[in-house]
Amino acid sequence: MAEKLLRFVTVSRHAPDKRPAAARRRDFDEISAGFDAAGAALQAARCSQCGVPYCQVHCPLHNNIPDWLKLTAEGRLEEGYAMAAATNTFPEICGRICPQDRLCEGNCVIEKGFGGVTIGAVENFLVETAFAEGWVRPIKPVVERRQSVGIVGAGPAGLAAADRLRRKGYRVTVHDRYDRVGGLLVYGIPNFKLDKAVVARRADLLRAGGIDFVLDFALGRDADLATLRERHDALLIATGVYKARALKAPGAGLAGVVPAMTYLTASNRQGLGDAVPEIASGALDADGKRVVVIGGGDTAMDCVRTAVRQGARAVTCLYRRDRANMPGSQREVAHAIEEGVVFEWLAAPEALLGDDATRAVRAIRMRLGPPGPDGRQEPQPIAGSSFELPCDLAIEALGFDPEDLPTLFGAPDLGVTGWGTLAVDPRTLATTLDGVFAAGDIVRGASLVVWAIRDGRLAADGIDAYLRARESATETPAMAEAI
Amino acid sequence: MSRRSKASAATRFVENWPAESARLARDGLYDPAFEHDACGVGLVAAIDGKPRREVVVAGVAALKAVWHRGAVDADGKTGDGAGIHVEIPQDFFKEHVARTGHAVDDGRIAVGMVFLPKTDLAAQETCRSIVETEILAFGYTIYGWRQVPVDTGVIGEKANVARPEIEQIMIANHPGVDDDAFELDLYIIRRKIEARVLAAHVTDFYFCSLSCRSIIYKGMFLAEQLSAFYPDLLDDRFVSSFAIYHQRYSTNTFPAWRLAQPFRMLAHNGEINTLRGNVNWMKCHEPRMVSGRFREHGEDVKPIVQAGSSDSAALDAVFEVMVRAGRSAPLVKTLLIPEAWSKSRSMPAAHRALYSYCNTVMEPWDGPAAIAATDGRWVIAGMDRNGLRPMRYAITGDGLLVVGSETGMVPLDDTRIVAKGRVGPGEIIGVDLAAGRLHGDREIKDALAAEHPYGEWIEKIANLADLTAAGEAPPDFTDAALRHRQRAAGYTLEDLELILQPMVENAKEATGSMGDDTPLAVLSRGYRGLHHFFRQQFSQVTNPPIDSLREQRVMSLNTRLGNLTNVLDEDASQTDILLLESPVLTNAEFAAMRASMGDAAVEIDITFAIDEDADALHRAVTRIRREAEDAVRRGNMHLILSDRGVGPARVAVPAILAAGAVHSHLVRHDLRTYTSINLRGAECLDVHYFAVLIGVGATTINPYLALDTIADRHARGLYPGLSFDDCAGRYKRAVDQGLLKVMSKMGIAVISSYRGGCNFEAIGLSRSLVADVFPGTPSRISGIGYAGIERKVRDLHAEAMADEVAVLPVGGFYRYRHRGEVHAFAPDLIHTLQAAVGTDSYRLFRSYADGARALPPVNLRDLLDFRPLGDEVPEDEVDSITQIRRRFLSGSMSLGALSAEAHETLAIAMNRMGAMSCSGEGGEDPERYRPRPNGDNANSVVKQIASARFGVTAEYLNHCREIEIKIAQGAKPGEGGQLPGFKVTAEIARLRHATEGGTLISPPPHHDIYSIEDLAQLIYDLKQINPDCRVSVKLVAQAGVGTVAVGVAKAKADVILISAHCGGTGASPQSSIKYAGAPWEMGLAEANQLLTLNRLRHRVRLRVDGGIRTGRDVVIAAMLGAEEFGIGTTSLVAMGCILVRQCHSNTCPVGICTQDERLRAKFEGSAEKVVNLFSFLAEDVRDILARLGARSLDEIVGRSDLLTQVSRGGAYLDDLDLNPLLVQADAGDAPRHCIVEGRNEVPDTLDARMIEDTRAALAEGEKMQLAYNVRNTQRAIGARLSSMITRRFGMRGLQPGHITVRLRGSAGQSLGAFAVQGLKLEVFGDANDYVGKGLSGGIVVVRPTVSSPLVSNENVIIGNTVLYGATSGRLFAAGRAGERFAVRNSGAEAVVEGCGANGCEYMTGGTIVILGPVGGNFGAGMTGGMAFVYDPESQFGPRVNEDSVVYQRLASSHWEAVLLGLVVEHAHETGSRFAERLLSEWDVAAGRFWQICPQEMLTRLEHPLSDQDAAAEA
Repeated sequence: MAEKLLRFVTVSRHAPDKRPAAARRRDFDEISAGFDAAGAALQAARCSQCGVPYCQVHCPLHNNIPDWLKLTAEGRLEEGYAMAAATNTFPEICGRICPQDRLCEGNCVIEKGFGGVTIGAVENFLVETAFAEGWVRPIKPVVERRQSVGIVGAGPAGLAAADRLRRKGYRVTVHDRYDRVGGLLVYGIPNFKLDKAVVARRADLLRAGGIDFVLDFALGRDADLATLRERHDALLIATGVYKARALKAPGAGLAGVVPAMTYLTASNRQGLGDAVPEIASGALDADGKRVVVIGGGDTAMDCVRTAVRQGARAVTCLYRRDRANMPGSQREVAHAIEEGVVFEWLAAPEALLGDDATRAVRAIRMRLGPPGPDGRQEPQPIAGSSFELPCDLAIEALGFDPEDLPTLFGAPDLGVTGWGTLAVDPRTLATTLDGVFAAGDIVRGASLVVWAIRDGRLAADGIDAYLRARESATETPAMAEAI
Repeated sequence: MSRRSKASAATRFVENWPAESARLARDGLYDPAFEHDACGVGLVAAIDGKPRREVVVAGVAALKAVWHRGAVDADGKTGDGAGIHVEIPQDFFKEHVARTGHAVDDGRIAVGMVFLPKTDLAAQETCRSIVETEILAFGYTIYGWRQVPVDTGVIGEKANVARPEIEQIMIANHPGVDDDAFELDLYIIRRKIEARVLAAHVTDFYFCSLSCRSIIYKGMFLAEQLSAFYPDLLDDRFVSSFAIYHQRYSTNTFPAWRLAQPFRMLAHNGEINTLRGNVNWMKCHEPRMVSGRFREHGEDVKPIVQAGSSDSAALDAVFEVMVRAGRSAPLVKTLLIPEAWSKSRSMPAAHRALYSYCNTVMEPWDGPAAIAATDGRWVIAGMDRNGLRPMRYAITGDGLLVVGSETGMVPLDDTRIVAKGRVGPGEIIGVDLAAGRLHGDREIKDALAAEHPYGEWIEKIANLADLTAAGEAPPDFTDAALRHRQRAAGYTLEDLELILQPMVENAKEATGSMGDDTPLAVLSRGYRGLHHFFRQQFSQVTNPPIDSLREQRVMSLNTRLGNLTNVLDEDASQTDILLLESPVLTNAEFAAMRASMGDAAVEIDITFAIDEDADALHRAVTRIRREAEDAVRRGNMHLILSDRGVGPARVAVPAILAAGAVHSHLVRHDLRTYTSINLRGAECLDVHYFAVLIGVGATTINPYLALDTIADRHARGLYPGLSFDDCAGRYKRAVDQGLLKVMSKMGIAVISSYRGGCNFEAIGLSRSLVADVFPGTPSRISGIGYAGIERKVRDLHAEAMADEVAVLPVGGFYRYRHRGEVHAFAPDLIHTLQAAVGTDSYRLFRSYADGARALPPVNLRDLLDFRPLGDEVPEDEVDSITQIRRRFLSGSMSLGALSAEAHETLAIAMNRMGAMSCSGEGGEDPERYRPRPNGDNANSVVKQIASARFGVTAEYLNHCREIEIKIAQGAKPGEGGQLPGFKVTAEIARLRHATEGGTLISPPPHHDIYSIEDLAQLIYDLKQINPDCRVSVKLVAQAGVGTVAVGVAKAKADVILISAHCGGTGASPQSSIKYAGAPWEMGLAEANQLLTLNRLRHRVRLRVDGGIRTGRDVVIAAMLGAEEFGIGTTSLVAMGCILVRQCHSNTCPVGICTQDERLRAKFEGSAEKVVNLFSFLAEDVRDILARLGARSLDEIVGRSDLLTQVSRGGAYLDDLDLNPLLVQADAGDAPRHCIVEGRNEVPDTLDARMIEDTRAALAEGEKMQLAYNVRNTQRAIGARLSSMITRRFGMRGLQPGHITVRLRGSAGQSLGAFAVQGLKLEVFGDANDYVGKGLSGGIVVVRPTVSSPLVSNENVIIGNTVLYGATSGRLFAAGRAGERFAVRNSGAEAVVEGCGANGCEYMTGGTIVILGPVGGNFGAGMTGGMAFVYDPESQFGPRVNEDSVVYQRLASSHWEAVLLGLVVEHAHETGSRFAERLLSEWDVAAGRFWQICPQEMLTRLEHPLSDQDAAAEA
């Protein structure tokens, strides 16, 4: 058959070649080179073009995956890019850092018998080709609108909203407390997963599209919420969640025990060429140290692999459940193991030992008990199974909680949930304050970048509807100037 | 029941029927327009034109031998009607007149045979006075009325209750005009009387005939009672030179006397598929119809076709007016029912010119038609273009012509007969009674063609192809402009990639698989083009669909452009037209056509301004209509309706709405024939849109935006190697092929008869909109109207014009997409259900079922809810799960579509539950007939018999409890299928008796069911070959299915399955999956209402399938009338199907729908999972029953009063009214569910006697020889005996010829059906249709009697469709065969001495030798086997269909030996002198044979076709 697609029966799954672990350990560069055109086309052609595409069903953005796989397989890359970009603000980022094994690829219909399609790598190829070919162009709205939207937080949620609102012609100003655009993308995620140049490239495009950025601006410090509300017709809060959950164990206050985000930010800043005193001082440098990372999520994986690259003597990951039940991406675990990380599954820290600085972690073996209220099996300690791990640097990667925004922003009316996240209308993402919307981790709690993008887009639609309603109510002409 | 109460039941039935049927027509789903009838028909004529008594006697006798082609009511006496048309015996009537004291004139007495109201004496008097007044007004005098003697004792009670007062009025030719003038006056008088009676609101008045030449006796008795009921016919003075007779089979049980045939000029067996279009066009023609012959009475003969006429009556009316206007019967037949001429390679030029002229005059009446007709001078028998009805004739040495549906109807001594033949496709034979001569087809056509210089006349016809010189111009719309327009026309990426792309790439429509699980258009929340509201109609049972691929030669898209003139004229003015080969125009063709139209055309913009306020659409339509009318009145001959004015400020009126509006408006104002309606529409992209446009009246279509879209894609390099002209041409070809397919599924061959016929059912369109714009289209639940459509197009337009448009919406209509259309098989539901059956968790099943209920509405039933019957009952009092499960089937999916693993798993699971699985149409491995050692039984208890008859053997048919005749399937009703060679594995080839890797084609129709009486015959055959099994008939829901169901019930089916449009498929054209058929809610309710109305419901089980997913679906189906339930796709989901919808690609990743070993290995289904599913469904049903207060399913069957509509759809709809579905028909004293135990038995045939006589042989295994005389009424001879042999000895347990049965006479239909090895049938005489149907190893020999003077190779000896689906065995017939000889033969060997059209069609195996001429289209779709044709005069070439075979003179000694062996055997078995002569000069004869071999087999032959190749291979 001359059929270009459905080739999974004869073509086996092949991901882009990764650099050997030994080489990877030495630098912070991305670990794979990506597909060439032929490779991408062939792998995309494995797609079964399902009547019910579970890849799309399980993609938070509901990307039209089978459709751009088909276009890629047929060599119609520009159309493929347009299709991918239509539902995803930052396909180049999702292609790199989404845990596809738990989302699209993990639900690929042919995954079970044949190995799923390498969706992420194809997406990456498609977008990188688009950048290389100049198909990715700054936003040029068809009409310019007078209304302006202020966005707090230049992370994935805020940027996704900014992009979408700007396309509709709104004036958009994005504020961030950091000095660079990208939020977690730039300071949280290590370079070997997401090259900072990729984020900067996107930031430049957004600027070129007419989005204003106000950096080093911390809401609550440099202005309160009311001031910002006056300045803009609508506001979006997309600050993320940054309050690290601390380890509740004896010795948690010792030197050499650091929160994951602090550790990763320092490393990323160094990679960006900033002067980072804590690295210079060795406080946040794993070089030559025995590192223990506590936690089993993606952040933990980022930490262990950063530590490897910083030259740690030994890197161990301590996690209280087993491999099958960890929240992080299996793919990342595999990468970490390749790179020499030791995993202690079913082990929880009991105490950090040391006088001033940590010298070891005492941990205890766990077993999985019956499922708890969240449906996951509860780990239970096995009495008398304690053991010690030598440790010079302990990194806590236990998750994040929201900051107390109503207080911080001087806006006591801003409604929050029991978890401290902002309370919103799930359809519009409007908060309890008129014209104030919220998106991303600050709404759903720490989660994936792809969810943040989805929320940002959703919030943009909510804001658009809100502003249009206001506009027709006041009967102000919408278009300031037509282009 | 006492006799008296029975009588009163009959009386009540007849008395209530008119009111009850009217109520169901008004409130329910009944539409009398869908009534069908079919029958046996024929004529007897004295060739010398001299009246003889024998002619009448023979006509009456013939009727006694076709009773089996009619249906009999339960009272055993009420028939569906029979009658005879003979000359008026002048002496007889003159004597009668004399007896009453009148002086009798010299001239002919005219006699009117009249049905008068029986009980209403006042109405009777009104009629008499009108009749007398009109006759006197014309200057004739009246001898008086005669009460026709009748014997009411011989007719049934129902017939008697409905019987009219039957009288004759006798008229004197007082003015003394000549007979022709008298006859013409009588015609006009009759039309005037009919009009006046109608005006007087008398309904029960009817003229059977009013003529000075002939008279018609007819009524609602069984055919054999004709002369007993009318003793007149026994009078020796009743002499006639001709007799036309007819036996009717109708699709209702109401004895309506006037519907009996013959009609005034013709009797018709068959069905006019194009009736709606023909009647509409007749209305269009009427204003221009003028004939000098009608003098000042021209208007009195109109309307030509009376409202409510049956197809035959309408045809008769048009036939009559054409004759009365001066044409001869042969010419009228040629004009109305022409031969397929445009693609014939063997037709003489003069004939072509004649047909070409006829084509410019009017649209053919298309469909199966055997007619017997007279114009007073000629008596003719004619056949439709496809030859779809049987018509055999015999000529005696003493000048009698006997023609009929069957040979042997008039018993004639063999020695008397000098010729036997058949009327072939498009042919006419006739007797010119005035000249006393018999004319064959060729003579008649030669004479007709010579009457006028047709060749000169047609030279004026211009051809568009000759005008189109330039190639395609660059596109008008590109980039953003294109994208905005695409979006405004509702295009999605899916449309472009899935639908448009394959049309250009392959020049064919796209294929898809599985059923449609998206909402009906009217229930959808999104935009749906107007075409989504039109469902394609299709043929089932009462007429056959056509194979538009293999039988393309009969199909035509020729479109004439120009004024239609007076159809009664005959001159050159009628040929001033532009001829298009297709109504689809590329941009270049449009430009050429536009240029040729010049000033005669006017362009009308079909858009409206966005800022117009409410009701803009309706006003736009009104404006368009007005502009069209004005233009036509100004003399514009062409209208061009265009939506190219779409833009930011202008919104398009849907092209279908505009076309329908203009067409209907012009028809109403008698202007339609003055103009062509040409559409330039953006929305036309897929085949269905084009079909709808033409169906609602468009003449041509230029899909400019689809073409610009193709140009855009071409510019982007998507069609490597093709020029844009190529691409446009391919797209057009794909649309053309698609149109042919859409027409052919209705059985329509010619697009001019399809145009304006509205051959659709509107589902979800407002009744008032339909009545206004698409009149005649059934629309039974109302729906969206102007307001709703306007809102939808405005929303779409706003979206299309908004913001930056980067990409088209992705779609989701064909395949699930997150942002697209709702799909009932939603992703999470699939997984929940699989988890439920995998873990045996009813709790999970409940969450699945609740999830399904929570979806937005997809089906009509989602708008319904239950009303309790009473208080809740305890669950343990309700039918048990085991009882309920027995009513379930797993759908009918073939092995071939499914993998063996999946197919067997389903069967095993269903057998475990005592439920039913169906084999599908692919045969079944005999290994499965017996349970496995572990007790698993993989034998399907229902065996399917479908059009291809794959693997249908005597053994197969004897290993089941039920045989399902698949007439249609929901995913592609009216279409055949094709299993591509790559799916034909060795295993499948073995089961289907085919060759590995060879394509297998399923024809669209069953070639033994072209009509309802054919279905009765097949049911009869099946009940013979399996004396215990029930027979079910699978139909697909559509408007009119209820009427068909009544016919099927009368044909003695035991189960009727109503399938929904959404049924699954392994591969179908996308437009068929999406746009054909109706929901089962409608079809089931209709079938239930009509079966109940006709008091047949309790005689037959109703079954339903298509998209049943939950217990709620089952209960609703039960309340709408179903007793059994098929669940196909959901049972696949239980086995692991995840709706990948790639069944047609052979890449099913879960191993269910694939033959690829690697994929089959992935199958994870199990019988347990399937059992769990059905148990859950049963439990779900039980829960609901308990809640409703019902203790059993039977209690709620047909209780549609327990359903209530709880939602009326979107607020923007005019209405959505499901009440017609919920109407309950009066069941009288009968229950609303089936009470038949076992099956509806059929009468015995000769086999009963044969079995009695072979008892010893069967017991002891002895050889035997039997001998009997045989009549054509003895059918399926040998089938029952074969069943006995198979059950006792196996299909190959006896030696060939173990039991020999010698028969003398004319054998009835299906001689030797399914005959097995060991049985040999020898007929001395001849045989009818279907000889050797499904032959399974037996031997059949048919030869003339020894004393017959017939020359075997020049006469017809066996009928149509011989050896259909034969798998092995032999047939030798010393004479010619009819049409479709050896169709779908897959293993039998046969020798005949000539055959009709479509010989060896779809053959996949076996060896066929034909020692004489063959008809056209030989070897079409033949993919296996071998054929040899003796052709000394080299006439074979133009008659072979070269698409799938190659042919050459004999060149291989191996094959010559095979041929010689068969000819020797033929000569030996039949004693054919012709064969003996060939053998005596074999050296010469051998060189005169063609060998015909399927192309696909060339590489697979063990012995190559030539010795040279064989040597080279060696």
